[in-house]
Amino acid sequence: MAERAGTLFDLDRAWRLHPHVSIRPERFGALLYHFDTRRLSFLKNKTLLAVVASLESQRSARAACTAAGVAAAEMPAYRSALGTLAASAMICERTGQ
Amino acid sequence: MADTPAAAAEPAGQTLPAEEAPDATVLVEDLLVEDLLVEEVSIDGMCGVY
Repeated sequence: MAERAGTLFDLDRAWRLHPHVSIRPERFGALLYHFDTRRLSFLKNKTLLAVVASLESQRSARAACTAAGVAAAEMPAYRSALGTLAASAMICERTGQ
Repeated sequence: MADTPAAAAEPAGQTLPAEEAPDATVLVEDLLVEDLLVEEVSIDGMCGVY
């Protein structure tokens, strides 16, 4: 499913953290908690945390990845990770901009 | 991390054939990065936790 989510995830759209999700930074990366679905997502490194935290301020998910230092070769893995987060509503598309 | 699948892929005392090792290592590392970036759980059903 993660692979499918990653394939469908559009890196060139604008995304943001879901308003009902809180981020708790951890030594391994971060913990996301969704207050509606009561799901937890573990972000396993701090680069992914930087990507997720900057989605709101970047024009696209790809820009957020680039700003966080994600190399081109790593982009598919991060796309897949973001797709997983989108599928579980941890992040959602920004609209009306 | 001695208990990672990467470590398990190369048991102590065994080595991959020289011509296969680089590709196999790259493949395993790529899969690990993709698998390990996000892990999801639900707290529903965790009786006694909250």
